[in-house]
Amino acid sequence: MDRTVTVSTQSIQLEGVRLQSGIYLSPLIVAYETYGELNERKDNAVLVLHALSGDAHAAGLDADGRIGWWDGMIGPGKGIDTTKYFVICSNCLGGCKGTTGPTSVNPDTGKPYGRTFPQITIRDMVNVQVMLIEKLGISKLHSVIGGSMGGMQALEWACGYGDKLKSAVVIAATARLSPQGIAFNWVSRNAIYCDPASPAKSDDLNSGFYKPGRGLAVARMIGHITYLSEETMQAKFGRKRKLRDMDGTTYSLGENQGIGGEFEIESYLQHKGSSFMARFDEDSYIIITKAIDYFDLVREYGDLASAFKEIKGKMMIVSFTSDWLYPTSMSLDIVRALQASKKHVSFVEMDLPYGHDSFLVPQGMPNMTRIVKGFLKGV
Amino acid sequence: MSDQTQEIRTPFHEFEAGFNIIIDLITPGTRVLDLGCGSGTLLARLRDEKDVEGCGVELDQEKVMRCTERGIRVMTLDLDYGLEGFPDLSYEYVVLSRTVQQLARPEHLVREMLRVGSKSIIAFPNFGQWKIRLEYLLTGRTPLVRTFPLPWYSSPDIHRITIQDFRHFVCDIGGKIEREFFIIKNEPKPRLFFPNLRADWGCVQISAQHSSL
Repeated sequence: MDRTVTVSTQSIQLEGVRLQSGIYLSPLIVAYETYGELNERKDNAVLVLHALSGDAHAAGLDADGRIGWWDGMIGPGKGIDTTKYFVICSNCLGGCKGTTGPTSVNPDTGKPYGRTFPQITIRDMVNVQVMLIEKLGISKLHSVIGGSMGGMQALEWACGYGDKLKSAVVIAATARLSPQGIAFNWVSRNAIYCDPASPAKSDDLNSGFYKPGRGLAVARMIGHITYLSEETMQAKFGRKRKLRDMDGTTYSLGENQGIGGEFEIESYLQHKGSSFMARFDEDSYIIITKAIDYFDLVREYGDLASAFKEIKGKMMIVSFTSDWLYPTSMSLDIVRALQASKKHVSFVEMDLPYGHDSFLVPQGMPNMTRIVKGFLKGV
Repeated sequence: MSDQTQEIRTPFHEFEAGFNIIIDLITPGTRVLDLGCGSGTLLARLRDEKDVEGCGVELDQEKVMRCTERGIRVMTLDLDYGLEGFPDLSYEYVVLSRTVQQLARPEHLVREMLRVGSKSIIAFPNFGQWKIRLEYLLTGRTPLVRTFPLPWYSSPDIHRITIQDFRHFVCDIGGKIEREFFIIKNEPKPRLFFPNLRADWGCVQISAQHSSL
Protein backbone atom coordinates (compact mmCIF):
# COMPACT_ATOMS: atom_id res chain seq x y z
CA MET A 1 0.00 0.00 0.00
CA ASP A 2 0.92 3.62 -0.35
CA ARG A 3 3.18 4.30 2.59
CA THR A 4 2.47 8.04 2.70
CA VAL A 5 -1.15 7.51 3.70
CA THR A 6 -2.06 5.71 6.88
CA VAL A 7 -5.04 3.41 6.91
CA SER A 8 -7.41 3.14 9.80
CA THR A 9 -9.77 0.40 10.79
CA GLN A 10 -13.43 1.30 10.36
CA SER A 11 -16.30 -0.36 12.10
CA ILE A 12 -19.90 -0.96 11.33
CA GLN A 13 -22.66 -1.81 13.76
CA LEU A 14 -25.10 -4.55 12.79
CA GLU A 15 -28.18 -5.63 14.63
CA GLY A 16 -26.92 -9.09 15.45
CA VAL A 17 -26.24 -12.55 14.14
CA ARG A 18 -27.96 -15.88 14.70
CA LEU A 19 -25.15 -18.29 15.51
CA GLN A 20 -25.16 -21.90 14.37
CA SER A 21 -25.62 -22.85 18.01
CA GLY A 22 -28.97 -21.01 17.94
CA ILE A 23 -27.84 -18.14 20.14
CA TYR A 24 -28.62 -14.65 18.86
CA LEU A 25 -25.58 -12.48 19.38
CA SER A 26 -26.42 -8.80 19.59
CA PRO A 27 -25.27 -6.11 19.20
CA LEU A 28 -22.70 -6.94 16.58
CA ILE A 29 -19.81 -4.76 15.58
CA VAL A 30 -17.56 -5.58 12.64
CA ALA A 31 -14.14 -3.97 12.25
CA TYR A 32 -12.82 -3.79 8.70
CA GLU A 33 -10.43 -2.02 6.38
CA THR A 34 -10.70 -1.38 2.67
CA TYR A 35 -8.08 -0.57 0.06
CA GLY A 36 -8.62 0.62 -3.50
CA GLU A 37 -11.87 1.82 -5.00
CA LEU A 38 -15.13 0.00 -5.59
CA ASN A 39 -15.99 0.43 -9.27
CA GLU A 40 -19.38 1.55 -10.55
CA ARG A 41 -20.55 -1.95 -11.36
CA LYS A 42 -19.45 -3.01 -7.88
CA ASP A 43 -17.89 -6.15 -9.29
CA ASN A 44 -14.23 -5.67 -8.39
CA ALA A 45 -14.39 -6.47 -4.68
CA VAL A 46 -11.97 -8.99 -3.19
CA LEU A 47 -12.50 -10.18 0.36
CA VAL A 48 -9.32 -11.14 2.19
CA LEU A 49 -9.70 -13.50 5.16
CA HIS A 50 -7.16 -13.53 7.96
CA ALA A 51 -5.76 -16.48 9.88
CA LEU A 52 -5.99 -17.28 13.60
CA SER A 53 -4.07 -14.31 14.96
CA GLY A 54 -4.71 -11.80 12.18
CA ASP A 55 -6.94 -8.76 12.09
CA ALA A 56 -8.58 -6.26 9.74
CA HIS A 57 -5.29 -4.44 9.17
CA ALA A 58 -4.11 -6.39 6.14
CA ALA A 59 -2.17 -3.74 4.23
CA GLY A 60 -0.51 -0.36 4.54
CA LEU A 61 0.57 1.43 7.69
CA ASP A 62 -1.80 2.23 10.51
CA ALA A 63 -1.59 5.30 12.75
CA ASP A 64 0.96 3.51 14.96
CA GLY A 65 3.16 2.76 11.97
CA ARG A 66 2.30 -0.91 12.10
CA ILE A 67 2.43 -2.66 8.74
CA GLY A 68 -0.49 -4.85 7.56
CA TRP A 69 -0.17 -8.62 7.89
CA TRP A 70 -0.37 -9.22 4.12
CA ASP A 71 1.10 -5.97 2.87
CA GLY A 72 3.39 -7.90 0.52
CA MET A 73 0.34 -9.20 -1.34
CA ILE A 74 -2.06 -6.24 -1.25
CA GLY A 75 -1.27 -2.90 -2.85
CA PRO A 76 -0.81 -1.11 -6.17
CA GLY A 77 0.74 -3.53 -8.68
CA LYS A 78 0.94 -6.32 -6.10
CA GLY A 79 -0.67 -9.78 -6.19
CA ILE A 80 -4.03 -8.32 -5.23
CA ASP A 81 -3.69 -5.08 -7.15
CA THR A 82 -5.49 -2.22 -5.38
CA THR A 83 -5.54 -0.19 -8.59
CA LYS A 84 -7.85 -2.88 -9.99
CA TYR A 85 -9.60 -4.36 -7.02
CA PHE A 86 -11.48 -3.05 -4.03
CA VAL A 87 -10.00 -5.08 -1.20
CA ILE A 88 -11.88 -5.70 2.04
CA CYS A 89 -10.51 -7.35 5.16
CA SER A 90 -12.50 -7.67 8.36
CA ASN A 91 -11.61 -8.91 11.81
CA CYS A 92 -13.34 -12.26 12.31
CA LEU A 93 -16.21 -12.84 14.70
CA GLY A 94 -14.80 -13.79 18.09
CA GLY A 95 -11.65 -11.80 17.43
CA CYS A 96 -10.20 -9.14 19.69
CA LYS A 97 -9.40 -6.40 17.19
CA GLY A 98 -12.65 -4.52 16.95
CA THR A 99 -15.17 -7.14 15.89
CA THR A 100 -17.50 -8.50 18.57
CA GLY A 101 -15.70 -11.11 20.62
CA PRO A 102 -14.86 -12.10 24.19
CA THR A 103 -13.40 -8.67 24.97
CA SER A 104 -16.66 -6.95 23.96
CA VAL A 105 -19.09 -5.91 26.66
CA ASN A 106 -22.01 -8.26 27.23
CA PRO A 107 -25.10 -5.99 27.28
CA ASP A 108 -26.75 -8.28 29.84
CA THR A 109 -24.02 -7.89 32.45
CA GLY A 110 -22.29 -4.68 31.50
CA LYS A 111 -18.99 -6.56 31.71
CA PRO A 112 -16.80 -8.16 29.02
CA TYR A 113 -18.00 -11.59 27.86
CA GLY A 114 -14.66 -13.19 28.66
CA ARG A 115 -15.03 -16.92 28.70
CA THR A 116 -18.84 -16.66 28.63
CA PHE A 117 -18.70 -15.65 24.96
CA PRO A 118 -20.79 -18.17 23.00
CA GLN A 119 -18.89 -20.74 20.97
CA ILE A 120 -18.80 -19.67 17.37
CA THR A 121 -17.99 -21.55 14.18
CA ILE A 122 -16.17 -20.78 10.95
CA ARG A 123 -19.62 -20.61 9.35
CA ASP A 124 -20.68 -17.95 11.86
CA MET A 125 -17.61 -15.89 10.95
CA VAL A 126 -18.55 -16.17 7.28
CA ASN A 127 -22.17 -15.25 7.95
CA VAL A 128 -20.98 -12.03 9.58
CA GLN A 129 -18.73 -11.30 6.59
CA VAL A 130 -21.72 -11.82 4.29
CA MET A 131 -23.63 -9.18 6.25
CA LEU A 132 -20.69 -6.78 6.00
CA ILE A 133 -20.43 -7.25 2.23
CA GLU A 134 -24.15 -6.58 1.84
CA LYS A 135 -23.86 -3.43 3.94
CA LEU A 136 -21.09 -2.26 1.64
CA GLY A 137 -23.51 -2.67 -1.27
CA ILE A 138 -21.72 -5.58 -2.91
CA SER A 139 -23.82 -8.45 -4.19
CA LYS A 140 -21.07 -10.51 -5.81
CA LEU A 141 -17.39 -10.68 -4.91
CA HIS A 142 -14.71 -11.05 -7.54
CA SER A 143 -12.91 -13.35 -5.16
CA VAL A 144 -12.46 -14.44 -1.58
CA ILE A 145 -8.88 -15.22 -0.57
CA GLY A 146 -7.58 -16.68 2.64
CA GLY A 147 -4.87 -18.86 4.12
CA SER A 148 -5.04 -21.31 7.02
CA MET A 149 -8.20 -20.40 8.98
CA GLY A 150 -8.86 -17.82 6.26
CA GLY A 151 -8.75 -20.69 3.76
CA MET A 152 -11.37 -22.56 5.78
CA GLN A 153 -13.55 -19.45 5.58
CA ALA A 154 -12.96 -19.20 1.84
CA LEU A 155 -14.15 -22.81 1.50
CA GLU A 156 -17.18 -22.10 3.66
CA TRP A 157 -17.96 -19.05 1.52
CA ALA A 158 -17.78 -21.10 -1.67
CA CYS A 159 -19.94 -23.91 -0.25
CA GLY A 160 -22.56 -21.74 1.41
CA TYR A 161 -22.69 -18.64 -0.78
CA GLY A 162 -21.90 -19.89 -4.27
CA ASP A 163 -24.00 -17.12 -5.81
CA LYS A 164 -22.11 -14.38 -4.04
CA LEU A 165 -18.65 -14.99 -5.44
CA LYS A 166 -16.94 -15.54 -8.75
CA SER A 167 -13.89 -17.29 -7.37
CA ALA A 168 -12.08 -18.40 -4.24
CA VAL A 169 -8.41 -18.89 -3.39
CA VAL A 170 -7.92 -21.43 -0.61
CA ILE A 171 -4.34 -21.38 0.72
CA ALA A 172 -2.77 -23.91 3.12
CA ALA A 173 -6.17 -25.01 4.35
CA THR A 174 -8.18 -28.13 4.95
CA ALA A 175 -11.80 -29.21 4.87
CA ARG A 176 -11.32 -30.71 8.33
CA LEU A 177 -8.43 -30.32 10.74
CA SER A 178 -6.31 -33.42 11.40
CA PRO A 179 -6.27 -34.99 14.88
CA GLN A 180 -2.67 -33.78 15.04
CA GLY A 181 -3.85 -30.21 14.50
CA ILE A 182 -6.58 -30.62 17.11
CA ALA A 183 -3.98 -31.99 19.51
CA PHE A 184 -1.75 -28.94 19.14
CA ASN A 185 -4.71 -26.61 19.64
CA TRP A 186 -5.76 -28.57 22.72
CA VAL A 187 -2.31 -28.31 24.25
CA SER A 188 -2.28 -24.59 23.46
CA ARG A 189 -5.61 -24.06 25.18
CA ASN A 190 -4.39 -26.11 28.12
CA ALA A 191 -1.49 -23.73 28.54
CA ILE A 192 -4.10 -21.01 29.04
CA TYR A 193 -6.38 -23.14 31.23
CA CYS A 194 -3.46 -24.05 33.52
CA ASP A 195 -2.43 -20.46 33.92
CA PRO A 196 -3.04 -19.48 37.56
CA ALA A 197 -3.58 -15.85 36.69
CA SER A 198 -6.33 -16.65 34.26
CA PRO A 199 -9.94 -16.80 35.45
CA ALA A 200 -10.97 -20.45 35.50
CA LYS A 201 -14.70 -19.74 35.65
CA SER A 202 -16.82 -16.98 34.28
CA ASP A 203 -17.81 -16.05 37.87
CA ASP A 204 -14.25 -14.92 38.45
CA LEU A 205 -14.79 -12.17 35.93
CA ASN A 206 -16.75 -10.36 38.62
CA SER A 207 -13.87 -10.54 41.06
CA GLY A 208 -12.01 -7.99 39.01
CA PHE A 209 -9.03 -10.35 38.87
CA TYR A 210 -8.47 -10.52 35.17
CA LYS A 211 -4.79 -10.40 34.51
CA PRO A 212 -3.60 -13.06 32.13
CA GLY A 213 -0.44 -14.90 33.03
CA ARG A 214 1.92 -16.45 30.52
CA GLY A 215 -0.44 -19.17 29.37
CA LEU A 216 -1.29 -17.31 26.18
CA ALA A 217 2.41 -16.83 25.44
CA VAL A 218 3.03 -20.56 25.78
CA ALA A 219 0.04 -21.24 23.54
CA ARG A 220 1.50 -18.95 20.91
CA MET A 221 4.90 -20.61 21.15
CA ILE A 222 3.34 -24.00 20.50
CA GLY A 223 1.51 -22.49 17.54
CA HIS A 224 4.69 -21.00 16.13
CA ILE A 225 6.48 -24.34 16.20
CA THR A 226 3.71 -25.81 14.06
CA TYR A 227 3.77 -22.92 11.57
CA LEU A 228 7.48 -23.31 10.81
CA SER A 229 9.26 -26.20 9.17
CA GLU A 230 12.25 -28.10 10.49
CA GLU A 231 14.21 -26.76 7.52
CA THR A 232 13.39 -23.12 8.28
CA MET A 233 14.23 -23.51 11.96
CA GLN A 234 17.56 -25.02 10.97
CA ALA A 235 18.30 -22.25 8.49
CA LYS A 236 17.08 -19.35 10.63
CA PHE A 237 18.28 -20.40 14.06
CA GLY A 238 20.32 -23.58 13.92
CA ARG A 239 21.83 -24.16 17.35
CA LYS A 240 22.98 -20.57 17.67
CA ARG A 241 22.87 -18.96 21.07
CA LYS A 242 23.04 -15.25 20.31
CA LEU A 243 20.15 -13.39 21.81
CA ARG A 244 19.12 -11.49 18.76
CA ASP A 245 15.75 -11.43 17.08
CA MET A 246 15.09 -11.48 13.38
CA ASP A 247 15.45 -7.71 13.02
CA GLY A 248 18.88 -7.77 14.59
CA THR A 249 17.81 -6.12 17.83
CA THR A 250 18.86 -7.82 21.02
CA TYR A 251 16.69 -8.43 24.00
CA SER A 252 17.80 -9.47 27.40
CA LEU A 253 17.60 -12.68 29.34
CA GLY A 254 15.95 -10.76 32.13
CA GLU A 255 12.87 -10.16 30.04
CA ASN A 256 9.82 -12.21 30.89
CA GLN A 257 10.66 -13.31 34.39
CA GLY A 258 14.19 -14.31 33.55
CA ILE A 259 13.22 -17.12 31.24
CA GLY A 260 14.15 -15.49 27.98
CA GLY A 261 15.83 -18.55 26.58
CA GLU A 262 19.37 -19.33 25.65
CA PHE A 263 19.23 -20.79 22.17
CA GLU A 264 18.10 -18.49 19.41
CA ILE A 265 15.05 -20.58 18.73
CA GLU A 266 14.09 -20.25 22.39
CA SER A 267 14.53 -16.49 22.33
CA TYR A 268 12.56 -16.29 19.14
CA LEU A 269 9.64 -18.21 20.60
CA GLN A 270 9.85 -16.23 23.83
CA HIS A 271 9.76 -13.00 21.88
CA LYS A 272 6.81 -14.19 19.78
CA GLY A 273 4.95 -15.30 22.89
CA SER A 274 5.51 -12.04 24.73
CA SER A 275 4.54 -9.81 21.85
CA PHE A 276 1.44 -11.92 21.30
CA MET A 277 0.37 -11.37 24.91
CA ALA A 278 0.47 -7.66 24.32
CA ARG A 279 -1.77 -7.84 21.28
CA PHE A 280 -4.13 -10.75 21.70
CA ASP A 281 -6.83 -11.92 24.06
CA GLU A 282 -6.66 -15.39 25.56
CA ASP A 283 -10.41 -15.98 25.40
CA SER A 284 -10.41 -15.06 21.73
CA TYR A 285 -7.62 -17.57 21.30
CA ILE A 286 -9.69 -20.28 22.97
CA ILE A 287 -12.87 -19.49 21.01
CA ILE A 288 -11.14 -19.26 17.64
CA THR A 289 -8.98 -22.37 18.00
CA LYS A 290 -12.09 -24.30 19.00
CA ALA A 291 -13.89 -22.98 15.92
CA ILE A 292 -10.96 -24.25 13.84
CA ASP A 293 -11.12 -27.66 15.56
CA TYR A 294 -14.88 -27.96 15.00
CA PHE A 295 -14.64 -27.02 11.33
CA ASP A 296 -15.50 -30.15 9.39
CA LEU A 297 -17.20 -29.89 6.01
CA VAL A 298 -17.48 -33.67 5.80
CA ARG A 299 -19.50 -33.81 9.01
CA GLU A 300 -21.52 -30.75 8.06
CA TYR A 301 -22.56 -31.96 4.60
CA GLY A 302 -22.13 -35.75 4.74
CA ASP A 303 -19.21 -35.79 2.32
CA LEU A 304 -17.03 -33.28 0.53
CA ALA A 305 -18.64 -33.74 -2.87
CA SER A 306 -22.01 -32.78 -1.35
CA ALA A 307 -20.39 -29.83 0.42
CA PHE A 308 -19.10 -28.58 -2.92
CA LYS A 309 -22.35 -29.17 -4.84
CA GLU A 310 -23.43 -25.52 -4.88
CA ILE A 311 -20.03 -24.09 -5.78
CA LYS A 312 -20.28 -22.05 -8.98
CA GLY A 313 -17.09 -20.03 -9.21
CA LYS A 314 -13.52 -20.89 -10.07
CA MET A 315 -11.50 -22.43 -7.26
CA MET A 316 -7.76 -22.17 -6.70
CA ILE A 317 -6.29 -24.46 -4.07
CA VAL A 318 -2.71 -23.77 -2.92
CA SER A 319 -0.57 -25.92 -0.65
CA PHE A 320 3.08 -25.86 0.43
CA THR A 321 5.52 -28.75 0.30
CA SER A 322 6.91 -27.91 3.74
CA ASP A 323 3.56 -27.45 5.51
CA TRP A 324 3.15 -30.36 7.90
CA LEU A 325 0.24 -28.83 9.83
CA TYR A 326 -2.06 -28.53 6.78
CA PRO A 327 -0.18 -30.84 4.39
CA THR A 328 -0.68 -31.13 0.63
CA SER A 329 -2.66 -34.35 1.10
CA MET A 330 -5.41 -32.31 2.77
CA SER A 331 -5.51 -29.85 -0.10
CA LEU A 332 -5.66 -32.80 -2.50
CA ASP A 333 -8.73 -34.12 -0.67
CA ILE A 334 -10.40 -30.80 -1.46
CA VAL A 335 -9.16 -30.82 -5.06
CA ARG A 336 -10.36 -34.37 -5.73
CA ALA A 337 -13.79 -33.74 -4.27
CA LEU A 338 -14.08 -30.61 -6.42
CA GLN A 339 -13.06 -32.65 -9.46
CA ALA A 340 -15.59 -35.33 -8.61
CA SER A 341 -18.27 -32.62 -8.51
CA LYS A 342 -17.00 -31.35 -11.90
CA LYS A 343 -16.03 -27.93 -10.54
CA HIS A 344 -13.52 -25.55 -12.10
CA VAL A 345 -10.50 -26.16 -9.88
CA SER A 346 -6.83 -25.25 -10.16
CA PHE A 347 -4.29 -26.67 -7.78
CA VAL A 348 -0.80 -25.40 -7.09
CA GLU A 349 1.58 -27.09 -4.71
CA MET A 350 4.30 -24.55 -4.06
CA ASP A 351 7.79 -25.69 -3.30
CA LEU A 352 8.56 -23.30 -0.46
CA PRO A 353 10.51 -24.27 2.66
CA TYR A 354 8.81 -21.96 5.19
CA GLY A 355 6.17 -24.35 6.49
CA HIS A 356 2.53 -23.47 7.07
CA ASP A 357 3.41 -19.76 7.18
CA SER A 358 4.83 -19.81 3.64
CA PHE A 359 2.04 -17.57 2.34
CA LEU A 360 2.89 -14.87 4.89
CA VAL A 361 6.68 -14.69 4.78
CA PRO A 362 8.27 -12.10 2.47
CA GLN A 363 10.50 -14.74 0.85
CA GLY A 364 7.47 -16.61 -0.46
CA MET A 365 5.75 -13.48 -1.76
CA PRO A 366 7.16 -13.35 -5.33
CA ASN A 367 5.82 -16.81 -6.18
CA MET A 368 2.55 -16.32 -4.28
CA THR A 369 2.09 -13.05 -6.15
CA ARG A 370 2.43 -14.71 -9.56
CA ILE A 371 -0.17 -17.32 -8.68
CA VAL A 372 -2.71 -14.98 -7.12
CA LYS A 373 -2.33 -12.25 -9.73
CA GLY A 374 -2.63 -14.68 -12.63
CA PHE A 375 -5.62 -16.44 -11.14
CA LEU A 376 -7.51 -13.22 -10.31
CA LYS A 377 -6.97 -11.96 -13.87
CA GLY A 378 -8.39 -15.16 -15.32
CA VAL A 379 -11.56 -15.17 -13.20
CA MET B 1 8.17 -11.83 -14.37
CA SER B 2 10.24 -14.19 -16.46
CA ASP B 3 9.19 -14.64 -20.05
CA GLN B 4 11.37 -17.64 -20.68
CA THR B 5 12.25 -20.62 -18.57
CA GLN B 6 15.95 -21.14 -18.08
CA GLU B 7 15.82 -24.54 -19.76
CA ILE B 8 18.26 -25.22 -22.60
CA ARG B 9 16.39 -25.50 -25.87
CA THR B 10 16.78 -28.68 -27.88
CA PRO B 11 14.87 -30.07 -30.88
CA PHE B 12 12.49 -31.34 -28.18
CA HIS B 13 11.19 -27.81 -27.86
CA GLU B 14 10.65 -27.27 -31.59
CA PHE B 15 7.37 -29.08 -31.75
CA GLU B 16 5.24 -26.78 -33.88
CA ALA B 17 4.43 -29.59 -36.29
CA GLY B 18 3.29 -31.81 -33.45
CA PHE B 19 1.14 -29.10 -31.91
CA ASN B 20 -0.44 -28.45 -35.30
CA ILE B 21 -1.39 -32.12 -35.65
CA ILE B 22 -2.86 -32.22 -32.14
CA ILE B 23 -4.80 -28.99 -32.66
CA ASP B 24 -6.20 -30.28 -35.98
CA LEU B 25 -7.38 -33.46 -34.27
CA ILE B 26 -9.35 -31.64 -31.60
CA THR B 27 -12.99 -30.68 -32.16
CA PRO B 28 -13.70 -27.02 -31.25
CA GLY B 29 -15.46 -26.25 -27.97
CA THR B 30 -14.47 -29.50 -26.27
CA ARG B 31 -12.72 -30.12 -22.96
CA VAL B 32 -9.05 -31.03 -23.17
CA LEU B 33 -6.72 -32.27 -20.45
CA ASP B 34 -3.04 -31.75 -21.29
CA LEU B 35 -0.73 -33.96 -19.25
CA GLY B 36 2.76 -32.53 -18.83
CA CYS B 37 1.46 -29.24 -20.23
CA GLY B 38 4.71 -27.31 -19.64
CA SER B 39 4.08 -23.58 -19.59
CA GLY B 40 0.78 -24.00 -21.38
CA THR B 41 1.72 -23.33 -25.02
CA LEU B 42 -0.62 -25.97 -26.45
CA LEU B 43 -3.52 -25.11 -24.15
CA ALA B 44 -3.18 -21.39 -24.91
CA ARG B 45 -3.37 -22.15 -28.64
CA LEU B 46 -6.31 -24.51 -28.15
CA ARG B 47 -8.12 -21.84 -26.16
CA ASP B 48 -7.46 -19.15 -28.75
CA GLU B 49 -7.90 -21.23 -31.91
CA LYS B 50 -10.47 -23.84 -30.89
CA ASP B 51 -12.37 -22.30 -27.98
CA VAL B 52 -11.30 -25.26 -25.88
CA GLU B 53 -11.88 -25.47 -22.13
CA GLY B 54 -8.49 -26.74 -21.10
CA CYS B 55 -6.76 -27.98 -18.01
CA GLY B 56 -3.08 -28.74 -17.67
CA VAL B 57 -1.14 -31.01 -15.37
CA GLU B 58 2.46 -30.10 -14.65
CA LEU B 59 4.95 -30.84 -11.88
CA ASP B 60 7.51 -28.11 -12.50
CA GLN B 61 6.70 -25.10 -10.31
CA GLU B 62 8.03 -22.45 -12.67
CA LYS B 63 5.93 -23.86 -15.52
CA VAL B 64 2.86 -24.09 -13.28
CA MET B 65 3.24 -20.41 -12.41
CA ARG B 66 3.62 -19.48 -16.08
CA CYS B 67 0.39 -21.35 -16.87
CA THR B 68 -1.43 -19.46 -14.13
CA GLU B 69 -0.08 -16.17 -15.45
CA ARG B 70 -1.42 -17.03 -18.89
CA GLY B 71 -4.82 -17.68 -17.36
CA ILE B 72 -4.58 -21.40 -17.94
CA ARG B 73 -6.12 -23.75 -15.44
CA VAL B 74 -3.40 -26.03 -14.11
CA MET B 75 -2.76 -28.63 -11.43
CA THR B 76 0.52 -29.54 -9.75
CA LEU B 77 0.43 -33.32 -9.94
CA ASP B 78 2.91 -36.12 -10.54
CA LEU B 79 1.80 -38.14 -13.55
CA ASP B 80 3.50 -41.25 -12.19
CA TYR B 81 0.71 -41.37 -9.59
CA GLY B 82 -1.94 -41.55 -12.29
CA LEU B 83 -5.05 -39.42 -12.54
CA GLU B 84 -6.73 -40.12 -9.23
CA GLY B 85 -9.63 -37.77 -8.69
CA PHE B 86 -10.35 -37.17 -12.37
CA PRO B 87 -13.82 -38.60 -13.00
CA ASP B 88 -14.36 -41.21 -15.75
CA LEU B 89 -14.83 -39.70 -19.22
CA SER B 90 -14.66 -36.16 -17.87
CA TYR B 91 -12.68 -34.87 -20.87
CA GLU B 92 -13.25 -35.28 -24.59
CA TYR B 93 -9.49 -35.40 -25.14
CA VAL B 94 -6.54 -36.21 -22.96
CA VAL B 95 -3.22 -35.18 -24.48
CA LEU B 96 0.17 -36.59 -23.54
CA SER B 97 2.70 -34.84 -25.67
CA ARG B 98 6.44 -35.67 -25.59
CA THR B 99 6.19 -37.15 -22.11
CA VAL B 100 5.31 -40.84 -22.30
CA GLN B 101 8.96 -41.89 -22.78
CA GLN B 102 9.85 -40.15 -19.49
CA LEU B 103 7.28 -41.79 -17.23
CA ALA B 104 8.18 -44.40 -14.64
CA ARG B 105 4.83 -46.16 -15.19
CA PRO B 106 3.62 -45.40 -18.72
CA GLU B 107 1.14 -48.28 -18.78
CA HIS B 108 -0.58 -47.06 -15.64
CA LEU B 109 -0.95 -43.52 -16.96
CA VAL B 110 -2.13 -44.45 -20.46
CA ARG B 111 -4.78 -46.74 -18.95
CA GLU B 112 -5.83 -43.80 -16.78
CA MET B 113 -6.01 -41.59 -19.88
CA LEU B 114 -8.36 -44.08 -21.54
CA ARG B 115 -10.52 -43.97 -18.41
CA VAL B 116 -10.65 -40.17 -18.10
CA GLY B 117 -10.89 -39.14 -21.75
CA SER B 118 -13.10 -40.25 -24.62
CA LYS B 119 -10.04 -39.97 -26.83
CA SER B 120 -6.38 -39.77 -26.02
CA ILE B 121 -3.68 -38.21 -28.15
CA ILE B 122 -0.10 -39.26 -27.50
CA ALA B 123 2.98 -37.86 -29.23
CA PHE B 124 6.35 -39.51 -28.67
CA PRO B 125 9.85 -39.56 -30.16
CA ASN B 126 10.51 -42.59 -32.37
CA PHE B 127 13.67 -44.30 -31.18
CA GLY B 128 13.30 -46.85 -34.00
CA GLN B 129 14.52 -44.32 -36.51
CA TRP B 130 17.24 -45.74 -38.77
CA LYS B 131 20.03 -43.39 -37.63
CA ILE B 132 19.49 -44.42 -34.02
CA ARG B 133 19.43 -48.09 -35.00
CA LEU B 134 22.60 -47.68 -37.03
CA GLU B 135 24.40 -46.04 -34.16
CA TYR B 136 23.48 -48.91 -31.86
CA LEU B 137 24.74 -51.34 -34.49
CA LEU B 138 27.99 -49.58 -35.32
CA THR B 139 29.09 -48.28 -31.93
CA GLY B 140 27.36 -50.74 -29.61
CA ARG B 141 26.46 -47.84 -27.36
CA THR B 142 23.25 -46.05 -26.48
CA PRO B 143 22.98 -43.15 -28.93
CA LEU B 144 22.48 -39.55 -27.99
CA VAL B 145 19.15 -38.67 -29.52
CA ARG B 146 18.05 -35.36 -30.97
CA THR B 147 15.18 -34.78 -28.55
CA PHE B 148 17.35 -34.68 -25.45
CA PRO B 149 20.99 -35.09 -26.44
CA LEU B 150 22.12 -36.50 -23.11
CA PRO B 151 23.81 -39.82 -22.28
CA TRP B 152 21.65 -42.66 -20.97
CA TYR B 153 22.51 -41.98 -17.33
CA SER B 154 21.21 -38.43 -17.33
CA SER B 155 18.62 -38.50 -20.11
CA PRO B 156 15.02 -37.97 -19.00
CA ASP B 157 13.99 -40.32 -21.83
CA ILE B 158 14.05 -43.52 -19.82
CA HIS B 159 12.03 -45.55 -22.34
CA ARG B 160 13.47 -45.71 -25.83
CA ILE B 161 10.24 -46.64 -27.56
CA THR B 162 9.53 -47.09 -31.26
CA ILE B 163 6.41 -46.63 -33.32
CA GLN B 164 6.06 -50.42 -33.52
CA ASP B 165 6.43 -50.68 -29.75
CA PHE B 166 3.66 -48.19 -29.28
CA ARG B 167 1.27 -49.95 -31.65
CA HIS B 168 1.74 -53.21 -29.75
CA PHE B 169 1.42 -51.45 -26.42
CA VAL B 170 -1.96 -49.91 -27.34
CA CYS B 171 -3.15 -53.35 -28.44
CA ASP B 172 -1.89 -54.97 -25.23
CA ILE B 173 -3.80 -52.58 -22.96
CA GLY B 174 -7.02 -53.05 -24.91
CA GLY B 175 -6.94 -49.70 -26.69
CA LYS B 176 -7.60 -48.92 -30.30
CA ILE B 177 -5.56 -46.68 -32.61
CA GLU B 178 -7.97 -44.36 -34.41
CA ARG B 179 -5.58 -42.00 -36.16
CA GLU B 180 -1.85 -42.05 -36.76
CA PHE B 181 0.47 -39.26 -37.81
CA PHE B 182 4.20 -39.11 -38.26
CA ILE B 183 6.60 -36.22 -38.16
CA ILE B 184 9.68 -36.30 -40.31
CA LYS B 185 11.98 -33.26 -40.49
CA ASN B 186 9.25 -31.12 -38.84
CA GLU B 187 6.74 -32.12 -41.54
CA PRO B 188 3.54 -33.82 -40.42
CA LYS B 189 2.59 -36.84 -42.54
CA PRO B 190 -0.65 -38.80 -42.23
CA ARG B 191 1.01 -41.59 -44.24
CA LEU B 192 4.64 -42.53 -44.49
CA PHE B 193 6.46 -45.52 -45.98
CA PHE B 194 8.39 -47.37 -43.30
CA PRO B 195 7.46 -44.92 -40.52
CA ASN B 196 9.23 -46.97 -37.88
CA LEU B 197 12.48 -46.48 -39.78
CA ARG B 198 11.98 -42.89 -40.88
CA ALA B 199 9.75 -40.86 -38.57
CA ASP B 200 11.23 -38.56 -35.91
CA TRP B 201 7.98 -38.52 -33.97
CA GLY B 202 4.83 -40.56 -33.80
CA CYS B 203 1.47 -39.10 -32.86
CA VAL B 204 -1.55 -41.31 -32.31
CA GLN B 205 -5.14 -40.83 -31.31
CA ILE B 206 -6.40 -43.78 -29.32
CA SER B 207 -9.58 -44.73 -27.50
CA ALA B 208 -10.73 -47.54 -25.27
CA GLN B 209 -11.76 -50.59 -27.35
CA HIS B 210 -15.38 -50.52 -26.19
CA SER B 211 -16.04 -46.96 -27.25
CA SER B 212 -18.13 -46.70 -30.38
CA LEU B 213 -16.83 -44.42 -33.08
